[in-house]
Amino acid sequence: MKRSYRGVILLCFVLLLNIICTQQVVNAFFYEKYERVLWFAAANIILFPIALWIYRRERDVE
Amino acid sequence: MSGDNMNQRSTDSKDTKASKHNNNKIPFPENNYTHNIRKAGERKLDRRGFMKTMVGAAGLFAVSTLPWGAIAVKELSGLGAKSHPKRKVVNISDLKVGEATEFAYPGEHDAALLVRLGENEFKAYQNACTHLKCPVFWSKEEGRLVCPCHHGFFDVKTGKPTAGPPQRPLPEVMLSKEQGAIFATGVKRYET
Repeated sequence: MKRSYRGVILLCFVLLLNIICTQQVVNAFFYEKYERVLWFAAANIILFPIALWIYRRERDVE
Repeated sequence: MSGDNMNQRSTDSKDTKASKHNNNKIPFPENNYTHNIRKAGERKLDRRGFMKTMVGAAGLFAVSTLPWGAIAVKELSGLGAKSHPKRKVVNISDLKVGEATEFAYPGEHDAALLVRLGENEFKAYQNACTHLKCPVFWSKEEGRLVCPCHHGFFDVKTGKPTAGPPQRPLPEVMLSKEQGAIFATGVKRYET
């Protein structure tokens, strides 16, 4: 069995971006920069399909 | 469970055939000595299980930002902003530069204070002190808004507290100038 940790690393990176975006959302919300809130919230939501896509691609290779 | 199976298999093979492994030195007819590794839970956190967890976490993060986004949309679209009817406060000719007048806005019991700072410079605040709601006065000599109860002071240009117990700015009343009179058009948000 050939192991590839590319998916794991990519998903870890996606989760890191998730954490950053969530933090930025809360921060911008506190400072009432609502447009910034929307940008980071949208990024956070888009990251989920990306994570799902990475997972599916890895699974289908296996 | 899988360990039992392995024991079973090993005794079977011991009975049926004699091999070079069956010499009381090597306990099982296998050569990688993994019989002591519990394999029953091995699919619980393997690579794919971990990746599933990560995707689930990404979904959780996505869902968790929805309320923030929803409130931001509400704020941006102005749904949360209250609107108050426009009301005449005073004729400009009745108020000298450096003087102030009290009025009620937006409600009948919401005391407010209009200060004429310059020829064309007017500022109005709801004058309930943000400390304990005492009425705030305009002190022409000191050039600042004064709350006499506990000696709270506010900057007249911004409404921000400058000294004393109050921590929050006075809510500003928005003004417009029409036909030689000052009109109150709305109240800025009370900052908590």
